[in-house]
Amino acid sequence: MGTTRCGEAFLANPDLFPARRAGEPWGDAVIDLVRRFGAYCREGGPPAARADTAGVESLVFRAAEADFRTIDVRGWEYALDLDAAPEAVRLAGLRLVARLDWRPGLCGALWTPDGGGAEFAGIFENFCRVLVAYRLLERGGAVLHCAAISDRGGARLFLGRSGAGKSTVSRLALARGLTVLSDDLNALFPGGGEARPPFVEKLPFTGDYGDSRSPSPAAPLAGLYRLAKSEADSLQPLSRAAAAACLLACSPFVNADAHRRERLLANLLALLPAGPVAAWELRFSLGGGFWPILNR
Amino acid sequence: MTPLDAGSVLRPSRDVRYRRIEDEAVVIRQRAAEVLVMNEVAARILELADGRRTVGGWIDALAAEFDVDRATLERDVLAFTAELAAEGMLEPADGV
Repeated sequence: MGTTRCGEAFLANPDLFPARRAGEPWGDAVIDLVRRFGAYCREGGPPAARADTAGVESLVFRAAEADFRTIDVRGWEYALDLDAAPEAVRLAGLRLVARLDWRPGLCGALWTPDGGGAEFAGIFENFCRVLVAYRLLERGGAVLHCAAISDRGGARLFLGRSGAGKSTVSRLALARGLTVLSDDLNALFPGGGEARPPFVEKLPFTGDYGDSRSPSPAAPLAGLYRLAKSEADSLQPLSRAAAAACLLACSPFVNADAHRRERLLANLLALLPAGPVAAWELRFSLGGGFWPILNR
Repeated sequence: MTPLDAGSVLRPSRDVRYRRIEDEAVVIRQRAAEVLVMNEVAARILELADGRRTVGGWIDALAAEFDVDRATLERDVLAFTAELAAEGMLEPADGV
């Protein structure tokens, strides 16, 4: 992590970062989050034999209040601190430290002083965002920072950095009666060869638009759009390399992991079949008149 | 770093990873966490920068592969190579 230690911004003593999955469990409650990529979370209690060996088990441990620095978050942009190594990923944030380990399968551990309530929900969600990103990497897919908008023809992904227009496009889509899966994070999975294109699945992580609670069926990928605000609406094709680079830039957490970035790129290339790809740069105006050109 | 010329021998910096994708290349700068797309000629230059061939050898190879005026090619390759070196994407093979 350069010249700083992982967790320095958040932890009273980053040298005491947990070195292994151990500690005082918060309790024996169990949560199973079962999505298309299998059960992947478990809270508290000892590990138990599981029929679903493809699942990812995570344990939640109690941490002391004094382990965390008090941070004035007014006007502050929150970003988790990640430190990736070949055998583990460590992360630290507001009132959380966590590890992802490969033993050899992926498993997680979270330490927090919050055992429930609204604050715990946010802490657990932040942990899950990272966990799911690595889980999808293992399943040949990727978590993408994008707006996913679906209709009967499939799901279109609108990608771009913060401020590129994902929320704007989502708002315009809702006004047209389209469905916004999420304007924050969405999952892209490999399809089944030429006959089945990659598909998009909603994740329970949304920003201003999208419903994180209701289920939504997976939708075939109908197009990738790199967003650029403009005075006029236009659509320019992207090469496969440009599309892959765009997806890589929009794959949070894993794209900052030097040990797994090339695997991520391999996944993304597999999701972009050789030959013409359904990927474009969408230059759009705020009037929302660009929808018809998407169907050309 | 010593000035670049046709006798220079360069290689991609250690934090640069790239993959050819059809006629282009996706380039990842690990430390900067930066992703770039390079066109066909730039991608070929990265391939030619193997730490053994001189820049003059790259120019010979490119001259055989692309329909381009030799003087223009030399000027463009040296300028682009200097740009990549200044950005820390290429480094001398001998570490000088």
